[in-house]
Amino acid sequence: MSEIPCEHCEQLMQPYLDRVLSDSERAEAEAHLDLCSYCRKRYRFEEHLRQFVREVAVGQMPPELKRKLAELRTPLL
Amino acid sequence: MSETDTEGRRLATDARDRVRFEEDALALSDQVYRVARHLVRDREEADDLMQETYARAFRSWRSFTPGTNLRAWLLRILTNLNIDRGRKQQRSPDFQPLEEGDYFLYNKLEETSDGPTDEERVVERLSQDDVVTALSAVPHDFRDVVVLVDIGDFTYADAAQILDIPVGTVMSRLHRGRRILKQAMAESAVGEDA
Repeated sequence: MSEIPCEHCEQLMQPYLDRVLSDSERAEAEAHLDLCSYCRKRYRFEEHLRQFVREVAVGQMPPELKRKLAELRTPLL
Repeated sequence: MSETDTEGRRLATDARDRVRFEEDALALSDQVYRVARHLVRDREEADDLMQETYARAFRSWRSFTPGTNLRAWLLRILTNLNIDRGRKQQRSPDFQPLEEGDYFLYNKLEETSDGPTDEERVVERLSQDDVVTALSAVPHDFRDVVVLVDIGDFTYADAAQILDIPVGTVMSRLHRGRRILKQAMAESAVGEDA
């Protein structure tokens, strides 16, 4: 098993996915993920989940609204 | 060159810059709407907010600094207008839910599945409705940050600037907001006992 416990890996997971960890923290997380299938499964799930949320949280702008926004432009003299 | 010529040129340059600004802002409207749609309750509210935002942006285009992030600038107007519209009065009291860890949703989906599944299959147990319903259940202050970062792809620093809050607050609200979102998704996908 790697040096950090799963609880610590869990805490590092979101900032790891956000790519905001320091080099040493990232190395710790990666070393743990290499060796721990429990956390690795959950890491992959988190990756898929983020992608899924981004894909399904769509908001297709109605064409009518698009037209209204264009009409707000300052008329050319 | 006469004063009239100089003034004419200035006006022409001004008009060209304004038209360019308006075109750039309109080109971003789909991306702005995508975020706006999840910052507010329903489509009608998002539509109104978009029109108010663009009307204000077109009026105050000179206050935008060319070369900076126009999408963030537009979202800042939009979030300020959203607050002006009285959202603060509806603000949730301090939310103290039973907070689960980051692995909570996976564990809940896995333990309620029929058999062993891979991680992608576990995600497939969630529907679009589960996500949209769960997002709307997250209290505003947390949802704003989650929507800007996870749906709008803004950096922590951009989200901080848009919402006029410190980066540290963005980080703490994001941390908590994502957990609340997962808890709500678990409730939606698995049931009340999540």
